[in-house]
Amino acid sequence: MSSRNIESNLQKVTMNMTATVRQMIIAAGLAVGGASLALAHHSYSAFEMAGTRVITGTIKKMDWTNPHTWIWIDVANEQGVVETWGIEGMSPNYLERRGWSRNTIKVGDKLSITFHPLKNGDKGGSFQSAQRPNGEVLGMTPPISDK
Amino acid sequence: MNRTTRILFGFVTASLVLGSTAGAQGVTRKAPTAAEWASLAKLPDFNGVWESAPGGGGGRGAAGAGRAGRGGGPSLTPDYAAKAKARANSPAEEAQAANCLPPGLPAIMNQPYPMEILLTPGKVTIVIEAYTQVRHIYTDGRPLPADPNPLFYGTSVGHWEDDTLVVETVGLAQVPRGLTFPYSEKLKVVERFRLTGPDTMSIETTLIDPDAFTAPYSMGSRTLARHRTWTIAEYICEENNRNFVDDKGSAGVKLGNPLSSAK
Repeated sequence: MSSRNIESNLQKVTMNMTATVRQMIIAAGLAVGGASLALAHHSYSAFEMAGTRVITGTIKKMDWTNPHTWIWIDVANEQGVVETWGIEGMSPNYLERRGWSRNTIKVGDKLSITFHPLKNGDKGGSFQSAQRPNGEVLGMTPPISDK
Repeated sequence: MNRTTRILFGFVTASLVLGSTAGAQGVTRKAPTAAEWASLAKLPDFNGVWESAPGGGGGRGAAGAGRAGRGGGPSLTPDYAAKAKARANSPAEEAQAANCLPPGLPAIMNQPYPMEILLTPGKVTIVIEAYTQVRHIYTDGRPLPADPNPLFYGTSVGHWEDDTLVVETVGLAQVPRGLTFPYSEKLKVVERFRLTGPDTMSIETTLIDPDAFTAPYSMGSRTLARHRTWTIAEYICEENNRNFVDDKGSAGVKLGNPLSSAK
Protein backbone atom coordinates (compact mmCIF):
# COMPACT_ATOMS: atom_id res chain seq x y z
CA MET A 1 0.00 0.00 0.00
CA SER A 2 1.42 3.36 -0.95
CA SER A 3 1.90 5.97 1.69
CA ARG A 4 -0.64 8.03 -0.20
CA ASN A 5 -3.27 5.35 0.32
CA ILE A 6 -2.34 5.03 3.96
CA GLU A 7 -2.80 8.73 4.36
CA SER A 8 -6.05 8.59 2.49
CA ASN A 9 -7.30 5.83 4.77
CA LEU A 10 -5.86 7.61 7.73
CA GLN A 11 -8.42 10.30 7.77
CA LYS A 12 -10.89 10.82 5.01
CA VAL A 13 -11.90 14.27 6.06
CA THR A 14 -11.43 17.54 4.38
CA MET A 15 -10.23 20.43 6.40
CA ASN A 16 -13.29 22.22 7.58
CA MET A 17 -14.44 23.76 10.78
CA THR A 18 -16.59 20.83 11.84
CA ALA A 19 -13.75 18.33 11.61
CA THR A 20 -11.40 20.62 13.46
CA VAL A 21 -13.90 21.18 16.21
CA ARG A 22 -14.56 17.45 16.42
CA GLN A 23 -10.87 16.71 16.79
CA MET A 24 -10.57 19.31 19.48
CA ILE A 25 -13.51 17.82 21.32
CA ILE A 26 -11.98 14.34 21.09
CA ALA A 27 -8.67 15.67 22.36
CA ALA A 28 -10.38 17.57 25.17
CA GLY A 29 -12.38 14.51 26.14
CA LEU A 30 -9.25 12.42 26.35
CA ALA A 31 -7.55 15.09 28.39
CA VAL A 32 -10.41 15.26 30.87
CA GLY A 33 -10.54 11.49 31.14
CA GLY A 34 -6.77 11.61 31.52
CA ALA A 35 -7.01 10.96 35.23
CA SER A 36 -6.36 7.40 34.22
CA LEU A 37 -5.72 7.30 30.47
CA ALA A 38 -2.59 9.32 30.00
CA LEU A 39 -2.20 10.36 26.41
CA ALA A 40 1.53 10.51 26.70
CA HIS A 41 4.32 10.08 29.15
CA HIS A 42 4.11 13.56 30.59
CA SER A 43 1.66 16.33 31.25
CA TYR A 44 0.98 19.01 28.72
CA SER A 45 1.53 21.87 31.14
CA ALA A 46 4.41 23.25 29.07
CA PHE A 47 2.02 23.83 26.19
CA GLU A 48 -0.71 26.42 25.79
CA MET A 49 -3.42 23.81 25.37
CA ALA A 50 -6.21 26.39 25.15
CA GLY A 51 -4.64 28.08 22.16
CA THR A 52 -3.49 26.98 18.74
CA ARG A 53 -1.17 28.41 16.15
CA VAL A 54 -0.62 27.46 12.52
CA ILE A 55 2.76 27.44 10.75
CA THR A 56 3.50 26.51 7.16
CA GLY A 57 6.82 25.30 5.91
CA THR A 58 9.00 22.47 4.67
CA ILE A 59 9.85 19.35 6.65
CA LYS A 60 13.50 19.36 7.66
CA LYS A 61 13.51 16.12 9.65
CA MET A 62 11.11 13.62 11.15
CA ASP A 63 12.09 11.86 14.39
CA TRP A 64 10.15 8.57 14.39
CA THR A 65 11.07 7.96 18.01
CA ASN A 66 9.73 7.26 21.47
CA PRO A 67 8.41 8.64 23.66
CA HIS A 68 7.27 11.15 21.06
CA THR A 69 7.64 11.80 17.40
CA TRP A 70 9.18 15.17 16.58
CA ILE A 71 8.40 16.99 13.38
CA TRP A 72 11.11 19.53 12.52
CA ILE A 73 9.84 22.07 10.05
CA ASP A 74 11.55 25.07 8.46
CA VAL A 75 9.32 28.11 8.48
CA ALA A 76 10.05 31.60 7.18
CA ASN A 77 9.39 34.27 9.77
CA GLU A 78 7.92 37.72 9.08
CA GLN A 79 11.34 38.99 8.03
CA GLY A 80 11.74 36.11 5.62
CA VAL A 81 14.36 34.38 7.77
CA VAL A 82 13.93 30.61 7.90
CA GLU A 83 13.62 29.20 11.41
CA THR A 84 13.27 25.57 12.48
CA TRP A 85 10.29 24.66 14.63
CA GLY A 86 9.93 21.42 16.60
CA ILE A 87 6.48 19.92 16.98
CA GLU A 88 5.91 17.05 19.41
CA GLY A 89 3.51 14.32 18.32
CA MET A 90 2.27 10.98 19.58
CA SER A 91 4.67 8.03 19.66
CA PRO A 92 5.41 5.83 16.64
CA ASN A 93 3.84 2.90 18.52
CA TYR A 94 0.59 4.80 18.90
CA LEU A 95 0.59 6.22 15.38
CA GLU A 96 1.46 3.00 13.55
CA ARG A 97 -1.70 1.43 14.98
CA ARG A 98 -3.65 4.36 13.60
CA GLY A 99 -2.48 4.23 10.01
CA TRP A 100 0.73 6.24 10.11
CA SER A 101 4.15 5.02 9.07
CA ARG A 102 7.59 6.54 9.36
CA ASN A 103 7.12 7.72 5.77
CA THR A 104 3.81 9.51 6.30
CA ILE A 105 5.71 12.76 6.77
CA LYS A 106 8.92 12.93 4.77
CA VAL A 107 11.79 15.38 4.50
CA GLY A 108 10.87 18.04 1.94
CA ASP A 109 7.11 17.70 2.42
CA LYS A 110 5.19 20.96 2.54
CA LEU A 111 2.85 21.10 5.51
CA SER A 112 0.70 23.49 7.49
CA ILE A 113 0.75 22.37 11.11
CA THR A 114 -1.76 23.41 13.72
CA PHE A 115 -0.32 23.03 17.21
CA HIS A 116 -0.48 24.13 20.81
CA PRO A 117 2.51 26.44 21.25
CA LEU A 118 5.04 26.21 24.05
CA LYS A 119 4.17 28.65 26.81
CA ASN A 120 7.73 29.91 27.09
CA GLY A 121 7.78 31.23 23.54
CA ASP A 122 10.32 28.72 22.21
CA LYS A 123 9.75 27.63 18.62
CA GLY A 124 7.88 24.44 19.37
CA GLY A 125 4.57 22.95 20.32
CA SER A 126 2.26 19.98 20.59
CA PHE A 127 0.83 18.60 17.34
CA GLN A 128 -2.87 19.10 16.76
CA SER A 129 -3.29 18.44 13.04
CA ALA A 130 -1.52 19.00 9.75
CA GLN A 131 -2.66 19.73 6.25
CA ARG A 132 -0.96 19.10 2.93
CA PRO A 133 -1.16 21.59 0.05
CA ASN A 134 -3.72 19.28 -1.63
CA GLY A 135 -6.02 19.59 1.37
CA GLU A 136 -5.34 16.21 2.97
CA VAL A 137 -5.51 16.38 6.73
CA LEU A 138 -3.28 14.35 9.03
CA GLY A 139 -4.68 13.71 12.48
CA MET A 140 -3.28 11.67 15.32
CA THR A 141 -6.50 10.40 16.84
CA PRO A 142 -8.29 8.57 14.00
CA PRO A 143 -9.85 5.20 14.86
CA ILE A 144 -7.38 2.46 15.57
CA SER A 145 -6.71 -0.08 12.88
CA ASP A 146 -6.24 -3.82 13.19
CA LYS A 147 -4.60 -3.93 9.78
CA MET B 1 34.68 -34.99 43.53
CA ASN B 2 37.15 -34.42 46.35
CA ARG B 3 36.17 -32.94 49.70
CA THR B 4 37.20 -29.38 48.88
CA THR B 5 35.36 -29.44 45.59
CA ARG B 6 32.31 -30.91 47.34
CA ILE B 7 32.31 -28.17 49.97
CA LEU B 8 32.78 -25.51 47.29
CA PHE B 9 30.03 -27.06 45.20
CA GLY B 10 27.72 -27.13 48.20
CA PHE B 11 28.51 -23.53 49.03
CA VAL B 12 27.84 -22.34 45.50
CA THR B 13 24.61 -24.33 45.35
CA ALA B 14 23.47 -22.92 48.69
CA SER B 15 24.30 -19.40 47.53
CA LEU B 16 22.30 -19.87 44.37
CA VAL B 17 19.33 -21.22 46.28
CA LEU B 18 19.45 -18.53 48.96
CA GLY B 19 20.11 -15.83 46.39
CA SER B 20 17.20 -16.94 44.27
CA THR B 21 14.74 -16.64 47.13
CA ALA B 22 15.31 -12.92 47.64
CA GLY B 23 12.78 -11.75 45.09
CA ALA B 24 10.40 -14.65 45.44
CA GLN B 25 9.68 -14.79 49.16
CA GLY B 26 11.19 -18.24 49.41
CA VAL B 27 8.72 -20.03 47.15
CA THR B 28 10.34 -22.66 44.98
CA ARG B 29 8.72 -23.01 41.60
CA LYS B 30 8.50 -26.61 40.51
CA ALA B 31 8.80 -27.64 36.91
CA PRO B 32 5.26 -27.69 35.50
CA THR B 33 3.80 -31.06 34.63
CA ALA B 34 2.18 -31.92 31.33
CA ALA B 35 -1.17 -31.92 33.12
CA GLU B 36 -0.55 -28.39 34.39
CA TRP B 37 0.25 -27.18 30.88
CA ALA B 38 -2.88 -28.94 29.58
CA SER B 39 -5.05 -27.42 32.30
CA LEU B 40 -4.32 -23.94 30.93
CA ALA B 41 -6.59 -24.77 28.01
CA LYS B 42 -9.52 -24.92 30.42
CA LEU B 43 -8.93 -21.35 31.60
CA PRO B 44 -10.63 -18.39 29.92
CA ASP B 45 -8.72 -17.33 26.83
CA PHE B 46 -6.80 -14.33 28.16
CA ASN B 47 -3.77 -14.73 25.91
CA GLY B 48 -3.16 -11.97 23.45
CA VAL B 49 -2.56 -8.27 22.98
CA TRP B 50 -5.02 -5.97 24.70
CA GLU B 51 -5.49 -2.22 24.81
CA SER B 52 -7.86 0.02 26.71
CA ALA B 53 -10.84 0.51 24.46
CA PRO B 54 -11.79 4.10 23.62
CA GLY B 55 -14.50 5.17 26.02
CA GLY B 56 -13.81 2.08 28.08
CA GLY B 57 -14.39 3.90 31.33
CA GLY B 58 -12.10 4.09 34.28
CA GLY B 59 -11.92 7.85 34.44
CA ARG B 60 -13.42 9.93 37.17
CA GLY B 61 -16.86 9.39 35.75
CA ALA B 62 -16.62 5.60 35.74
CA ALA B 63 -19.39 3.64 37.35
CA GLY B 64 -18.92 3.44 41.05
CA ALA B 65 -15.93 5.76 41.06
CA GLY B 66 -17.70 8.57 42.82
CA ARG B 67 -19.56 6.45 45.29
CA ALA B 68 -17.15 6.30 48.16
CA GLY B 69 -16.09 9.87 48.60
CA ARG B 70 -16.26 13.41 47.34
CA GLY B 71 -14.64 14.38 44.06
CA GLY B 72 -14.42 10.82 42.78
CA GLY B 73 -11.83 9.73 45.33
CA PRO B 74 -12.08 7.48 48.37
CA SER B 75 -13.44 8.58 51.69
CA LEU B 76 -10.27 9.35 53.63
CA THR B 77 -9.50 8.87 57.30
CA PRO B 78 -8.87 12.16 59.18
CA ASP B 79 -5.08 11.77 59.01
CA TYR B 80 -5.12 11.19 55.27
CA ALA B 81 -7.70 13.92 54.65
CA ALA B 82 -5.16 16.28 56.22
CA LYS B 83 -2.43 14.84 53.96
CA ALA B 84 -4.66 15.34 50.94
CA LYS B 85 -5.14 18.97 51.88
CA ALA B 86 -1.40 19.55 52.26
CA ARG B 87 -0.74 17.75 49.00
CA ALA B 88 -3.13 19.97 47.07
CA ASN B 89 -0.62 22.80 47.44
CA SER B 90 2.41 20.86 46.25
CA PRO B 91 3.58 20.53 42.61
CA ALA B 92 1.92 17.88 40.52
CA GLU B 93 3.57 14.48 40.37
CA GLU B 94 4.26 14.99 36.66
CA ALA B 95 7.92 15.53 37.42
CA GLN B 96 9.01 11.92 37.44
CA ALA B 97 7.07 11.00 34.31
CA ALA B 98 8.85 13.75 32.41
CA ASN B 99 12.07 11.96 33.27
CA CYS B 100 10.72 8.74 31.73
CA LEU B 101 9.90 6.95 34.97
CA PRO B 102 6.85 4.77 34.37
CA PRO B 103 3.74 5.27 36.48
CA GLY B 104 3.06 2.58 39.06
CA LEU B 105 0.00 0.42 39.44
CA PRO B 106 -2.83 1.12 38.66
CA ALA B 107 -1.99 3.83 36.08
CA ILE B 108 0.44 1.54 34.22
CA MET B 109 -2.58 -0.61 33.30
CA ASN B 110 -4.28 2.25 31.48
CA GLN B 111 -1.73 3.66 29.08
CA PRO B 112 -2.48 4.41 25.41
CA TYR B 113 -0.40 1.34 24.55
CA PRO B 114 -1.25 -2.36 24.52
CA MET B 115 -0.30 -5.14 26.94
CA GLU B 116 0.19 -8.82 26.22
CA ILE B 117 -1.20 -11.31 28.71
CA LEU B 118 0.52 -14.70 28.93
CA LEU B 119 -0.79 -17.63 30.94
CA THR B 120 1.71 -20.25 32.03
CA PRO B 121 1.45 -22.81 34.83
CA GLY B 122 1.41 -20.96 38.14
CA LYS B 123 1.83 -17.54 36.65
CA VAL B 124 0.19 -14.77 34.67
CA THR B 125 2.63 -12.40 32.97
CA ILE B 126 1.59 -9.02 31.63
CA VAL B 127 4.01 -7.53 29.13
CA ILE B 128 3.32 -3.81 29.07
CA GLU B 129 4.46 -1.90 26.01
CA ALA B 130 4.50 1.49 27.70
CA TYR B 131 8.00 2.03 29.13
CA THR B 132 8.73 -1.68 28.38
CA GLN B 133 7.44 -2.97 31.71
CA VAL B 134 6.39 -6.39 33.00
CA ARG B 135 4.01 -7.49 35.75
CA HIS B 136 4.48 -10.90 37.34
CA ILE B 137 1.34 -12.38 38.90
CA TYR B 138 1.85 -15.67 40.72
CA THR B 139 -1.09 -18.04 40.58
CA ASP B 140 0.65 -21.00 42.20
CA GLY B 141 -1.07 -20.56 45.53
CA ARG B 142 1.68 -18.68 47.33
CA PRO B 143 0.53 -16.12 49.89
CA LEU B 144 1.07 -12.39 49.63
CA PRO B 145 4.27 -11.36 51.41
CA ALA B 146 3.77 -10.17 55.00
CA ASP B 147 6.40 -7.44 54.76
CA PRO B 148 6.74 -6.59 51.08
CA ASN B 149 9.31 -4.26 49.61
CA PRO B 150 7.69 -1.05 48.33
CA LEU B 151 7.72 -1.23 44.52
CA PHE B 152 6.15 0.47 41.51
CA TYR B 153 3.96 -2.56 40.75
CA GLY B 154 4.16 -4.21 44.16
CA THR B 155 4.05 -7.98 44.59
CA SER B 156 1.07 -9.71 43.01
CA VAL B 157 -0.66 -13.03 43.48
CA GLY B 158 -3.73 -14.20 41.62
CA HIS B 159 -6.41 -16.86 41.81
CA TRP B 160 -9.36 -17.85 39.69
CA GLU B 161 -12.94 -17.38 40.89
CA ASP B 162 -14.89 -19.20 38.18
CA ASP B 163 -13.97 -17.29 35.02
CA THR B 164 -12.56 -14.26 36.81
CA LEU B 165 -8.87 -13.80 37.54
CA VAL B 166 -8.60 -11.98 40.87
CA VAL B 167 -5.23 -10.31 41.35
CA GLU B 168 -4.16 -8.89 44.70
CA THR B 169 -1.17 -6.60 44.94
CA VAL B 170 0.62 -5.22 47.99
CA GLY B 171 3.88 -3.40 48.61
CA LEU B 172 3.18 -0.22 46.67
CA ALA B 173 5.74 2.55 47.00
CA GLN B 174 4.92 6.25 47.09
CA VAL B 175 5.46 6.88 43.39
CA PRO B 176 3.26 8.48 40.74
CA ARG B 177 0.51 5.97 40.09
CA GLY B 178 -2.29 8.13 38.72
CA LEU B 179 -4.01 8.50 42.06
CA THR B 180 -5.17 11.95 43.07
CA PHE B 181 -5.30 11.11 46.77
CA PRO B 182 -2.79 9.95 49.38
CA TYR B 183 -2.41 6.30 50.37
CA SER B 184 -0.40 4.37 52.92
CA GLU B 185 2.07 1.51 52.72
CA LYS B 186 -0.87 -0.78 53.45
CA LEU B 187 -2.51 -0.01 50.09
CA LYS B 188 -3.78 -3.15 48.39
CA VAL B 189 -4.97 -3.17 44.79
CA VAL B 190 -7.51 -5.81 43.80
CA GLU B 191 -8.10 -6.30 40.08
CA ARG B 192 -10.77 -8.57 38.66
CA PHE B 193 -10.08 -9.61 35.04
CA ARG B 194 -12.99 -11.14 33.14
CA LEU B 195 -13.81 -11.78 29.48
CA THR B 196 -16.96 -9.96 28.44
CA GLY B 197 -16.95 -11.07 24.80
CA PRO B 198 -14.80 -12.91 22.28
CA ASP B 199 -12.28 -10.06 22.21
CA THR B 200 -13.26 -7.84 25.12
CA MET B 201 -12.22 -7.94 28.73
CA SER B 202 -13.18 -5.93 31.76
CA ILE B 203 -10.84 -5.05 34.60
CA GLU B 204 -12.52 -3.90 37.78
CA THR B 205 -10.10 -2.22 40.15
CA THR B 206 -10.65 -1.73 43.87
CA LEU B 207 -8.29 -0.04 46.30
CA ILE B 208 -8.17 -1.08 49.94
CA ASP B 209 -6.20 0.89 52.50
CA PRO B 210 -7.14 0.50 56.17
CA ASP B 211 -4.94 3.43 57.21
CA ALA B 212 -5.96 5.91 54.52
CA PHE B 213 -9.49 4.98 53.42
CA THR B 214 -12.59 4.46 55.54
CA ALA B 215 -13.88 1.83 53.07
CA PRO B 216 -12.69 -0.02 49.96
CA TYR B 217 -12.71 2.31 46.98
CA SER B 218 -13.95 1.08 43.62
CA MET B 219 -12.29 2.73 40.64
CA GLY B 220 -14.94 1.14 38.46
CA SER B 221 -14.47 -1.15 35.54
CA ARG B 222 -12.59 -0.59 32.30
CA THR B 223 -12.94 -2.37 28.99
CA LEU B 224 -9.98 -3.67 27.02
CA ALA B 225 -10.14 -4.79 23.40
CA ARG B 226 -8.04 -7.67 22.05
CA HIS B 227 -6.19 -6.93 18.82
CA ARG B 228 -5.31 -10.24 17.21
CA THR B 229 -3.11 -8.70 14.53
CA TRP B 230 -1.03 -6.60 16.90
CA THR B 231 2.30 -7.36 18.46
CA ILE B 232 4.01 -5.56 21.31
CA ALA B 233 6.37 -2.92 19.96
CA GLU B 234 9.59 -1.50 21.33
CA TYR B 235 9.20 1.52 23.59
CA ILE B 236 12.41 3.05 24.88
CA CYS B 237 11.35 6.22 26.64
CA GLU B 238 14.90 7.52 26.91
CA GLU B 239 15.42 7.30 23.14
CA ASN B 240 14.38 10.87 22.33
CA ASN B 241 12.90 12.28 25.51
CA ARG B 242 12.85 16.05 25.33
CA ASN B 243 10.85 16.61 28.47
CA PHE B 244 12.45 17.76 31.65
CA VAL B 245 11.51 19.08 35.04
CA ASP B 246 12.66 22.42 36.33
CA ASP B 247 13.72 23.09 39.91
CA LYS B 248 10.15 24.00 40.79
CA GLY B 249 8.92 20.59 39.67
CA SER B 250 7.19 21.76 36.50
CA ALA B 251 7.61 19.92 33.21
CA GLY B 252 9.26 21.69 30.32
CA VAL B 253 10.42 20.80 26.82
CA LYS B 254 13.98 20.90 25.49
CA LEU B 255 13.96 21.64 21.80
CA GLY B 256 17.69 21.75 21.06
CA ASN B 257 18.78 20.16 17.83
CA PRO B 258 16.85 17.50 15.99
CA LEU B 259 17.98 14.01 16.90
CA SER B 260 21.27 13.37 15.17
CA SER B 261 20.76 9.63 14.75
CA ALA B 262 19.86 8.30 11.34
CA LYS B 263 16.67 6.66 12.60
